[in-house]
Amino acid sequence: MIETIKHTIDYISAPTISFTLITVLFPLFFPPTDFFDKLNRKLRIYKIWTNAGGLILFTLISIFFYMGYTDPNFKIILMKGDNFPIVLMIYTMFFFTWYAMKKSYINDARIEEGKKPTEWHDPEDKVLVWPDLVYIELIALILFMVFLIVWAILVPAPLEEPANPAATPNPSKAPWYFLGLQEMLVYFDPWLAGVLFPTLIIVGMCAIPYMDINKKGDGYYSFKERRVGYFIFMYGWLVLWIYLIVIGTFFRGPNWNFFGPFEYWDPHKLEVLNNVNLSEYFWVIGLGQPLPQNILVRESVGFLVTGLYVFVLPVVLAKTILKNMYKAYGPTRYTFLMILGLSMLSLPIKMYLRWIFNLKYIIGIPEWFFNI
Amino acid sequence: MKYNNDERYWNINLLNKWFSISSILFLLCFIWMFYHDNDDEFKRYQREFRKLAVKVSQEKLQVALDDVKDSRNEYENKYNLELESYNSKQVKIDSLNSNLEYVKGLFYKANMDYLFKKAEVDELKYLYEDEIVHSHHHDDSDTHSKDVHNEYAYKEKYFSALSKMDSLQLKKEDYEKQVLTIEQQLKDFRRTLKISEDDLNVYLKEVNLLNTQLSKLDRSKMSYLNQLGDLVRDLPILDFMDPYYKVNQVVAHDIKYDVNFASVPSVDRCTSCHLGIDNADYKDAPQPFTSHPDLDLFVSSASPHPFEEYGCTSCHSGRGRGTDFVSSVHMPGSEEQKREWEEKYQWKKLHHWLQPMLPTKYTQASCFNCHESQPMLKGGDKLALGLTLIDKAGCNNCHHIDSYKTTRKSGPPLTHLDEKVNKDWVMKWIKDPQSFRYNTWMPHFFNQDNNSDEESIARNNAEIYAITEYLYPDGDKSKVDNSSKYIGDAINGEKLFNAVGCRGCHVVDEETIALGDVDVEYDMYLSKYGHEVDTSGVSYEKMNRYSLLKYQGPNLIGMGSKTDAKWIYNWIKNPEKYWPDTKMPNLRLTDQESKDITAYLLSFKNEDFDKVNSLDVNEEELKNIAKRWLVKSFPVNEANNKLDSMSKEEIADYVAKKSINYYGCYTCHTVDGFENGKPIGVELTTEGSKPLDKLDFGHIHDIAHTNYAWFEQKLANPRIFDRHKIVAHEDKLRMPNFYFKPEEIEAIVTAILGFTNRQFSDNKIIYNLVEDKDVFEGYKLINQYNCQGCHTIDGFGGQIADVIGKLEYSPPNLNTQGTKTQPDWLFEFFNNPTIIRPNLQVRMPSFDFTDSQWNAIIKAFQHMDDRGLLLEGHFSVDKMASKFKAGEKLHTFGACNNCHFYGEEFPKQGVQTWAPNLALTKDRLRPEWVVRWLDNPNTIMPGTKMPAPYIPDSVTLALDNAVSTWGKDVIALNGDREKMLEAIRDYIYTIEGKTDISTLIKDYFKVNGYDFDSEDEEDDFEDEEW
Repeated sequence: MIETIKHTIDYISAPTISFTLITVLFPLFFPPTDFFDKLNRKLRIYKIWTNAGGLILFTLISIFFYMGYTDPNFKIILMKGDNFPIVLMIYTMFFFTWYAMKKSYINDARIEEGKKPTEWHDPEDKVLVWPDLVYIELIALILFMVFLIVWAILVPAPLEEPANPAATPNPSKAPWYFLGLQEMLVYFDPWLAGVLFPTLIIVGMCAIPYMDINKKGDGYYSFKERRVGYFIFMYGWLVLWIYLIVIGTFFRGPNWNFFGPFEYWDPHKLEVLNNVNLSEYFWVIGLGQPLPQNILVRESVGFLVTGLYVFVLPVVLAKTILKNMYKAYGPTRYTFLMILGLSMLSLPIKMYLRWIFNLKYIIGIPEWFFNI
Repeated sequence: MKYNNDERYWNINLLNKWFSISSILFLLCFIWMFYHDNDDEFKRYQREFRKLAVKVSQEKLQVALDDVKDSRNEYENKYNLELESYNSKQVKIDSLNSNLEYVKGLFYKANMDYLFKKAEVDELKYLYEDEIVHSHHHDDSDTHSKDVHNEYAYKEKYFSALSKMDSLQLKKEDYEKQVLTIEQQLKDFRRTLKISEDDLNVYLKEVNLLNTQLSKLDRSKMSYLNQLGDLVRDLPILDFMDPYYKVNQVVAHDIKYDVNFASVPSVDRCTSCHLGIDNADYKDAPQPFTSHPDLDLFVSSASPHPFEEYGCTSCHSGRGRGTDFVSSVHMPGSEEQKREWEEKYQWKKLHHWLQPMLPTKYTQASCFNCHESQPMLKGGDKLALGLTLIDKAGCNNCHHIDSYKTTRKSGPPLTHLDEKVNKDWVMKWIKDPQSFRYNTWMPHFFNQDNNSDEESIARNNAEIYAITEYLYPDGDKSKVDNSSKYIGDAINGEKLFNAVGCRGCHVVDEETIALGDVDVEYDMYLSKYGHEVDTSGVSYEKMNRYSLLKYQGPNLIGMGSKTDAKWIYNWIKNPEKYWPDTKMPNLRLTDQESKDITAYLLSFKNEDFDKVNSLDVNEEELKNIAKRWLVKSFPVNEANNKLDSMSKEEIADYVAKKSINYYGCYTCHTVDGFENGKPIGVELTTEGSKPLDKLDFGHIHDIAHTNYAWFEQKLANPRIFDRHKIVAHEDKLRMPNFYFKPEEIEAIVTAILGFTNRQFSDNKIIYNLVEDKDVFEGYKLINQYNCQGCHTIDGFGGQIADVIGKLEYSPPNLNTQGTKTQPDWLFEFFNNPTIIRPNLQVRMPSFDFTDSQWNAIIKAFQHMDDRGLLLEGHFSVDKMASKFKAGEKLHTFGACNNCHFYGEEFPKQGVQTWAPNLALTKDRLRPEWVVRWLDNPNTIMPGTKMPAPYIPDSVTLALDNAVSTWGKDVIALNGDREKMLEAIRDYIYTIEGKTDISTLIKDYFKVNGYDFDSEDEEDDFEDEEW
């Protein structure tokens, strides 16, 4: 029975399946439109954001970790000092998401009834920096120090022997907070995954206040009043960042092969990775002829597709579906938002292209270190 | 005081409560952190050791107290008496003391006055001198212009101060003298007391020493203040000054560790826990306090490997900087130990440390790092056995080992095989060598773990067939020549075989149980941290370096089934003709002797082997093999075309060449057409340092993940790592199986672990410490040519004595050889051995060495005795000297001619006690050595029949009749034993006569035979103990 569950979990955790599942289910949990909202209510998914739902959620996670602890393979990974923060992170991520959503749903209901949100303090909704804020922050600081010291004593830092370039560990993993980036490297050229995307993430986060023209939902928990923004951010944060870190920690084994959590990390495991460039799809497989000598001709299809995605798609969208949005945001803000949004979207797109078509690069010019 | 003026929306009392709670929590955690930070594993050991040290010191103190029990009272009484008499004079002493105090005060004042005055004088002297200098300057410019008495204003002042100072000095010295006088008086009072006190202290030295030691160790013996200090010195933060509990470390500058391409001196902190390592008092203490088992050789500062210079990891490896059990990378020697450690120390392996500690059974591997040029060390038996096996099995033929190169191909040449054996025999032999001779060095290539399926057997048979055909380019030998021309008397042959020296290197042994046949899980027997195979109840010969000496040459069993009389006869007469590189020497046998031995060897047949059917060879299979090889080098179509164009013979030839290349036959044997073949195995020069991930464990998960477990498994079953793999025939593992025994595997693994890339300073490498590098060549030759099969050299060897049965009829012990013979004589002897010991039947063989090789051997002998190669003048004796005459006289008492030849003059006694020709001594032996020899022959050559000559002592020489008995020349030597021995030596060096009496002796034995021994054995040698 337990074995079957483990096998099922192993099977589901394969990135293709789990990523698809999460992506499909995500709008049901955080409905960005009325359609999903209806579904959400019909399936009573919003019940998760109640105390009972939270209890069930935490019980499920704990059962999963308990199963992991009793499993000889998963235990090795789980008990590593390096992975302790990941376990903490999973708990805290679920907790804070649940907590925020619970509060939001309460507030949403109140606002619908015409009441003030729960955070509203009469008479003037006011908190003082001193002593209220600074004092509380000081206490929080001390308590957090206590926590860090206890952590450091009970789970010693996993310091190892001096690094040895002649004997590197397999798999060689980045620190846990960079595992999301390392996972992106599977799908993108290092220039994109290692340089451009991190920059865009930072710039994008800085830009959020300037992109946000929604005046509602300010200073209190609320979902309905900014459900699209909430959905996009949470998808980027939970799925494209946290989830990738979890994959990198628990599911990537020797040779960066994928392993289910209960699988043995066999260093001999081999997987087919016959990756093909778009140019090869077009010229060799499609037209049945050799690749053109001229690099630009060879990659012309790639340039065309990328051009359509980056330059044409925003314009088309502005004229059709996102007509209202374009009007509200204005051309500059809209353009900037599109750059960020399309870059973010390119990650799942590229992942699926890889999984379904074994697509390596859309534009692949290793001669110029230019690969997309 | 109230704060209601302040505006706030949170309950400040609640916040205050939280603040106090969190602060207290923080404080507690802070204390916990300090405690945890200072609670190091090594400190726990050090506390435990302190208790142990107190116990040991107390025990020693008890012993010391027992030792002094008898006379302690005596000393103490004496001291007390003196003390009493001293105290009785107390009144006098007191008055002297008060007087002394008073005088000292006066002296102090006088001395002060004197010194102050002296300072004044110095200043005035300067001023006066200055004046003189200046007045002279004026002299030059305007002469006599100044008033004379104006000139030297300070002159008078200076001289008056000077005379005052002199008087002060007198006063001071007077007081000084008074002080000394009184002090002397006081001292005189104390003198006898002081003597008895010193006596007491000397007598109680050990006790006092231990008491002092204990007062530093044992807190209960300290004063309260010291107890407090002892506590405070180890408190956190304060412990940076002089803590009791601390990390002990030694920096070994000559032992390097490679940290990412930078060499740093190794830092060993092992003694932080191994606290009793250099102290023999703790030899029975529990780990980690146990003392080193061999303090004479290691650790102690008087040993050749002092701890301060070598540290620990130079030999043991591991992570020297580690200060707890796990971080120092201890490695378990067995599965049980591993489990015990896991439980006791939470042991786990640190994967990325490249030099994990060697399990105790492999520690000898490290000797090789520095002793690589002469690794056959006393106390390094396991390493020496491993290296010897590597040489004998020819591992270094296939595996290049830079530090332990092969000197020649270890198997016989296969270039004229047709003279020796027939094709059928060769095929059966290649297929299964041990079925012919159970302990052959020829390893098994076939019927192994990865090639015993039917398909492989068919393929292998075809390969064997092709190889054999290739080795017989001119077809099989025409006929077996067992004509009587080559065959003598087998019974006499056996006697000769056992007597003349063949047994120094060969045995003729019927089969004993070979471990390979025993029903044990042999292939996996070393699974998991060296779990030992259960060999109880299996009788097989346990191998060590000594037992290996008799296997220098092959076991000569079954020769009758292998070859014919003609070949054996020719081989014995001249081995180098068949095999120019052979190590087999020439025993200079006569034709008849050779025939007899031939007859003896030919009488052994291996009937089981004879009965084995010839190999079943399928010609289609040959074609198949050829095709598979061709496809590897050519495109498929071209390969097919090539194959079609080949004749049957060409295919066989092609397969043979490919197979010989694949199996590497040419690495051990000379094979025509493969003169330039390269070694086929992995280079082993730094195998011991190879990172673990470079060793392919394949799908074998049952063994420990360590390099030594891999090596053990590889040697026990070389093909096992192919198990469960799908591998093409051409890519299979091909290391052959030598069927090594467990102790052999352990020895070889020890050697492999010694092949490292570790770095030591030049002054630690033995090669650099010996000036003449030829010495090492000599050691190597002695080892490789099995000199120790017959001779005991450097305390090892001489196994032929076990066969001969008596040490005195065995080849001589070569102890002190380096100081014994004259190098030029020895050189001559090596090149042309003559009979030295007339009653030995065993012969010194003739080796075909070059002059430089003989020189190297002589140098090695000299090195063993710390002697360099020196040219030595002829030792001349003054026959007119009184000493010589004394020698002549003493010599007559020795009755040397009872046993020794004097040139052609036979000894007086029977053959049993015949001894070397004394006329040869002056050419052969070194004069200093002869004196040592005469002094006590048995220490130099244990078991010799030579008695030390009787030398009269001074008492005997003082007797009344001494002059008439000994003569005045002997008496003149005054009973000086050394001088008298020299006198005898001087006489011996003048004995004239023929030096080479070989023919004389040979003729004698031709007539009388060698059977003298058996007749007289009972009455003569009954009390001999061997």
